[in-house]
Amino acid sequence: MNKYEQHEYDVMVVGAGGAGLRAAIEASAHGAKTALVCKSLLGKAHTVMAEGGVAAALASADARDSWQVHFRDTMRGGNFLNQWRMAQLHAQEAPDRVRELQEWGAVFDRTKDGGILQRNFGGHTYPRLAHVGDRTGLEMIRTLQDKGIHQGIDVFMECTIRSLLKDGDRVAGGFGYWRETGRFVLFNAKAVVLATGGIGRCWEISSNSWEYTADGHAMAMWAGADLVDMEFIQFHPTGMVWPPSVRGTLITEGVRGEGGVLKNKDGERFMFRNIPEMFRGDYAETEEEADRWVASVIANERPDARRPPELLKRDVVARAIRREVIAGRGSPHGGVFLDIASKRTPEEIVRKLPGMYHQFKELADVDITKDPMEVGPTCHYMMGGVRVNPETQESTVPGLFAAGEVSGGMHGANRLGGNSLSDLLVFGKRAGEFAAKHAKGMDSFPSINQGEVESFAREALGPFDPAEGENPYTIHEDLRTMMQRRVGIVRSEDDLRFALEELGRLRERAGRVKSGGNIQYNPGWHLALDLWNMIDISEAVTRAALTRTESRGGHTREDFPETDKEWGKRNLVIRKPGDEIIVAEEPLAPMPEDLQALVNKAD
Amino acid sequence: MLSQAELIDPQARTLTVRIKRYNPEVDEKPHWEEYKVEADGHDRVLDVIQKVKWEQDDTLSLRRSCAHGVCGSDAMRINGSNGLACKILVKNLRSDTLTLEPILGLPVLKDLIVDMKPFFDHYKSVMPFLVNDEQPPTAERLQSPAERARFDESTKCILCACCTTACPPFWGDRKYVGPAAIVNAHRFIFDSRDRGAAERLEILNDAEGVWRCRTVFNCTSACPRDIKVTQTISEVKRLLMTGNIDLDTAPSVVIGN
Repeated sequence: MNKYEQHEYDVMVVGAGGAGLRAAIEASAHGAKTALVCKSLLGKAHTVMAEGGVAAALASADARDSWQVHFRDTMRGGNFLNQWRMAQLHAQEAPDRVRELQEWGAVFDRTKDGGILQRNFGGHTYPRLAHVGDRTGLEMIRTLQDKGIHQGIDVFMECTIRSLLKDGDRVAGGFGYWRETGRFVLFNAKAVVLATGGIGRCWEISSNSWEYTADGHAMAMWAGADLVDMEFIQFHPTGMVWPPSVRGTLITEGVRGEGGVLKNKDGERFMFRNIPEMFRGDYAETEEEADRWVASVIANERPDARRPPELLKRDVVARAIRREVIAGRGSPHGGVFLDIASKRTPEEIVRKLPGMYHQFKELADVDITKDPMEVGPTCHYMMGGVRVNPETQESTVPGLFAAGEVSGGMHGANRLGGNSLSDLLVFGKRAGEFAAKHAKGMDSFPSINQGEVESFAREALGPFDPAEGENPYTIHEDLRTMMQRRVGIVRSEDDLRFALEELGRLRERAGRVKSGGNIQYNPGWHLALDLWNMIDISEAVTRAALTRTESRGGHTREDFPETDKEWGKRNLVIRKPGDEIIVAEEPLAPMPEDLQALVNKAD
Repeated sequence: MLSQAELIDPQARTLTVRIKRYNPEVDEKPHWEEYKVEADGHDRVLDVIQKVKWEQDDTLSLRRSCAHGVCGSDAMRINGSNGLACKILVKNLRSDTLTLEPILGLPVLKDLIVDMKPFFDHYKSVMPFLVNDEQPPTAERLQSPAERARFDESTKCILCACCTTACPPFWGDRKYVGPAAIVNAHRFIFDSRDRGAAERLEILNDAEGVWRCRTVFNCTSACPRDIKVTQTISEVKRLLMTGNIDLDTAPSVVIGN
């Protein structure tokens, strides 16, 4: 008899955000016995916070849109480092995934003809984001959750997976604990899909949920899987900067999509002088032209003007805001101003952006229908993650799949807004499908190594051992402050080397961490364990950032400010074969000529 | 140009935080513990609790995730009323004593954490998914802006349980499906694309369904999303009385007010 609770499943999905739910639905539809294991309550995952919309070339708001244009926008958005095949599949399959979601009951805002309404977003040539006001993620996760309920998928709520189990080279399941009781639990699975989201809680100012603690990234690396593009972190240009308690909370890009403009303290729309070479000619050059564009969007007409430069891609806007603040042209609390009050009527603002209206009213005492918001960059999205086969989402470890934010490659050096919700639908489905197929191809369950289980159990109980020890919250706070200062939006060799040393010290402190109280529902203990994920993955990010001696997308080096053509031919791959985290350079997969032609095409 | 620094008065204050604690390992029944916390007026109740946890007593247990009112994890009783800890600011508290308890009517697991399973079971019982086996007419099933607006109100629910656990009939009768389940049934009953209304109405046409509602309005005042919960329940009741599922003539919900 095994001393721990044990379950057997064809497919275990870890994480119940959009990607995990979509993967579980698909695996189950393919006849696999599927477990969905999530550390929060069902329906509370980070996807719920997504606001602006899901990008898909449905062409319902502008008939000129197509997968080819979406593909091109995505590659340009990612500074051409994207895994091209993923970007292609994503652009081709996103419309079907959105229609399917609607068929399952999702509501969307509507065009006059009853079709799905689409809004403009940064870096997308045409209005492409299907949305529900500014609560698209909530609607999406609820629909997927309800679909899961309908299919009767087994859900293990508030159950945290801590480590992956291996049988030789392949994955054999996962080891974890119930949050409520603290009891350990084993899952023996023929295939595992990681859908654990991102790593944003390694930074001080972040729009991410408190649950974004790098679990999947770390588990995959520890299990021997390759990670890719770990140097690329997206700082969303518009987070709240005031009051301090909500600093970092997201303000949807939809505000700019609906006509909102960025101004410095002198009232200047500084984005006009921040249009990069690659995008020159695609954006309005005068306020008059930008205003005309907004007017046609309001009138629901095809614009005869180019888009306002506020709708440039996120890395460009975030750096421009940072420069304004450093030059002393910022707002009172260290941001810049985002003004929609002077562009739209109060009724329109409340109808189109109800969440933003209430968020500012309740948390900052600002009425956005009258006054501008103060905004600044906030850590928002991890482009890097588990390196996967673009067709199947299988990692370099057989039987281990990854989808959504925890996977890497799709977004290259920078993700376009709206491409994350479509990513998790497209690749969540693929991961579920191919995990089910993988499981079907196996005659028996992989075996579990009891010695490995015992060592995980000992490690997990470590924080209860010491009589005296440091509080996990202090270590976490120090990690976040350090990463914000040294591995933030702009990096340098000195800062990155300092960060590596600091991470060593934090690792030692984490080894002496002490959890107070007992094992039942003890968030301090959970954090003590999560610290290992966050410290290891922070190191992976730092080492990759140190290696890439250029600036591109979500990676800016003060000491190497230019984008380097040679670096544009290579991805960085991260592995941890032993105790050391190592970085390797690998050439990009060559792109077929027809796709290359699409990317190169001028307007 | 607006200066928010001038607009905002920090109103710092010292709070006496009373928290109802319960640890099933050692406690026979819940007890109160008190903490003193220096708080800024713009801190949220969640920040106050985290200060207690990080600086004074790390054994305190609560749920929290998104921390700005979207995921619905940190519902609790705050000075006697249900709310989300991440949406209530210190400056809006009427007294310097902050009393925190778990939401009522669900079994307490530890401190501020309740067992949500009974709540989710009620939610599942109303078939919260689109029922429609007809082939869609074209690539997508069309829905006019008016049809879409008809049930906008009930799509805002975040399943935080503030409404259901503020409901006196639910405290007395845990078999009652409760306001949140009815809101989610409403979301599909009034959706022009759905064909499962009759089945859902039959589930709700029961002593443990909508008829347990006594229109106390606690649910409406507790809802952190400003959903008019009682009105939503009344719409379902009226539909049962009139038997009229015609979506065009059903009472309309005002959006955005």
